[in-house]
Amino acid sequence: MPQPTIAPDIERESNVKEVVEADRPWLVIVWDDPINLMSYVTHVFQKLFGYSREKAHRLMLDVHFKGKAVVSSGPREKAEMDCFRLHGYGLWATMSKSE
Amino acid sequence: MSDVALKFNAHEAAILRDLTEQMRSLLRESDPDNPVHARLFPDAYENPKDAADYREIIGGDLSVTKLESLERVAEALGSRGGARITLTPDDADAWIRTLTDMRLAIGTRLDVTAETMDEEPDPDDPRFEPLQIMHWLGWLQESILDRMVP
Repeated sequence: MPQPTIAPDIERESNVKEVVEADRPWLVIVWDDPINLMSYVTHVFQKLFGYSREKAHRLMLDVHFKGKAVVSSGPREKAEMDCFRLHGYGLWATMSKSE
Repeated sequence: MSDVALKFNAHEAAILRDLTEQMRSLLRESDPDNPVHARLFPDAYENPKDAADYREIIGGDLSVTKLESLERVAEALGSRGGARITLTPDDADAWIRTLTDMRLAIGTRLDVTAETMDEEPDPDDPRFEPLQIMHWLGWLQESILDRMVP
């Protein structure tokens, strides 16, 4: 049984890569807009994600001063649902795969 | 939270009724070239194909959700005169969402910036009246928020 090893090894490696790709979480990002009030944005983060007032306030400040903040993460379906709920409250949310 | 009591005179109630009618037609149309529509229904993905798929599957539900909140507000306002309204927690949630949609629609149409929002509206600015209405809607929203527990 000569030379049996090369092809299976390559295949195994590419499988590993796929698993890593699928496991990387999706990030839900809220972007700054000039219209929504700070108090409202804080309220929405508390209401939708159950965050403490302090955490929600900190995220709101990040959105306001840094232009955006990651507000939640997880599998694709969860990220899509979070985007949907944020859009329901008029926040400008997008999702992307974490780097 | 306890119930929230709102009182509008005939002029204020008329403004809100007019806005609910405008929002109803806006939420029912689907014009991707209208910037107001794009702001109310943002792309979830940067990639156009993913954004279109998401819109196809979930976008329709979003307009249903927004219209439900809007109709709750419209019903509470009644058809004429002033209005005295008591909001349950669910009503309050519908009101703050709808006030947000109204502010987003006005602000996007006027193309406001952070600077515009910080300034006192100038009476000589052709946008004076809608800007004042937008600020009033914001004040109303914060008054409701003050009495809500998230």
